[in-house]
Amino acid sequence: MKIGILSKRTGNFTGKMKSFFKSSGHQVNLYAAKDLCINDSLLDNDFYILKSKHLVYLIAGYFLEANKVPVIPNTDVSYTHKDRIETYFALKRIGLLVPSIYMGFINTLKTNLKKSYFPLISKPVFGSGSRGVKVYNSIKDFNPQDGEPLYLEKYIEGIHYLAYFIEDNYYICEKQPLTNEHGEMKLIESDKEIEEYLKKWKQNYNLLFGHLDLVRENNTNKLYVVDAGTFPEFSNWKNEIDPVSSICDLILKKISRIKKIE
Amino acid sequence: MIKIGLITDKYHLENKSAQFLKYCKNRAEVSIYLEEDYLLDFSNYNFDENIFFVKAKGDLILNLVKLIENETNLPVINSSKSISLAFNRFLNSVYLREADIQVPDFTLNPVGISPPYDEYIVKNIIDQKNYAFKPQIQKREGFLKVTDFRAIEESSGINPKYTHVYYQEFVKSKWEYKVYLIGDVAYYFKQIPVLVDPDKMKSRVEIEKDLELTEIAHKAAKTIGLKVCSMDFLKSKNGFFYLTDINSSPNFNYLKNGPKLVGDYLIRQAKT
Repeated sequence: MKIGILSKRTGNFTGKMKSFFKSSGHQVNLYAAKDLCINDSLLDNDFYILKSKHLVYLIAGYFLEANKVPVIPNTDVSYTHKDRIETYFALKRIGLLVPSIYMGFINTLKTNLKKSYFPLISKPVFGSGSRGVKVYNSIKDFNPQDGEPLYLEKYIEGIHYLAYFIEDNYYICEKQPLTNEHGEMKLIESDKEIEEYLKKWKQNYNLLFGHLDLVRENNTNKLYVVDAGTFPEFSNWKNEIDPVSSICDLILKKISRIKKIE
Repeated sequence: MIKIGLITDKYHLENKSAQFLKYCKNRAEVSIYLEEDYLLDFSNYNFDENIFFVKAKGDLILNLVKLIENETNLPVINSSKSISLAFNRFLNSVYLREADIQVPDFTLNPVGISPPYDEYIVKNIIDQKNYAFKPQIQKREGFLKVTDFRAIEESSGINPKYTHVYYQEFVKSKWEYKVYLIGDVAYYFKQIPVLVDPDKMKSRVEIEKDLELTEIAHKAAKTIGLKVCSMDFLKSKNGFFYLTDINSSPNFNYLKNGPKLVGDYLIRQAKT
């Protein structure tokens, strides 16, 4: 098959997937933003893998699906994971606990946020990683900024977790607050509640793999979801199951089911 | 009395909404949600309005609409999804073409990679902010290349927001056709294309209902999910209408009795 991968990187997990598919006899084309022209020239591949969720890749995903080319994970799912407001509603809809969220321009926030709302954490509405992430302990911490509304989340003080899933396999790590996927982490043997969260998330949105970031609150022991991702790098996955071959196999099986239905 | 929630920003409130508010004064109660002054608290969704009308397209506005859509069953005109699609030039072109609506050929290219068209217009991808089209018109080797100033600014300016620009193949047309849609009712105008005369209102005249335009306009609004909108069309020399732009937040003050038409429509659509 001819496989397209929409990815900001050509190495790392993307590079490994490319090698896996090539060694299985498939033809692979990588599309990074700098050479991605979104038009009928993309329709040459049999299906696409949406590895990155920047706007331009999401647009490419929607374009491909509108032209009946399968995209995995599907573009709506990736968009929901990319937009924090959409993620908030998606999590809430299936009964998973999420922190309170707010949005407003700086002056409005300064006037209207009550003391009891703090601590708060700002994050980009449409984004991932640590850019724009900052903890605010009081109104005094807000600085004038460039006129865009700020997205804020109640900052949950507690133990932070990164929980991966590939099909029915889970891998849960304890991590330092506000660190990304690539930092050093400690494997957690088992946490039934986190596994239940993963199962619910995975089943309700028909996901093959992904991850959730969670925090168990110190005072209440309640478990909150603070982030979700469709396609992590699996940097801290140290299970005996190989993430690259498992994910590539899952993708090929899914494509085969889609093609049969067609 | 029906209560209408007007979700807007300062620009639209100060420049576009006075006539609408005046018309509604004795017919409906209007509460105003102003983007610049509103604290969007997602745990607070006890609204007592019968309908919401969205007159702007900023991020906070869209997310307030998402809150209303997710947590209540109150009607919102237009929906968050339709507004987002309308301002995403590339995606609305994709869905319109998928629905068999004629749009000029288009591509989304990284900055520096030319499109496969002789004559084209370069536009920014996301038409979200309040902005008027500022074209830079060039002729190269006899072919027309039009670039919207904002497309350059957003992709190659000091703080570029996007790596890509939207290219739309140029369609030569004597007239630009404008259709306003308020619910099921359409209003038709024509004017000299803005690339020829930027003062669009100078040449704008109302025209008779056109069956072909009517069919396309309704299909396009349904495809994008818009209830109140405006659309721009060009007519090629072979007689085809090409939909070049769709707007979720039209200035209905340009319509005779526009504020009345919109106000009455909202009152009819309100949940009682």
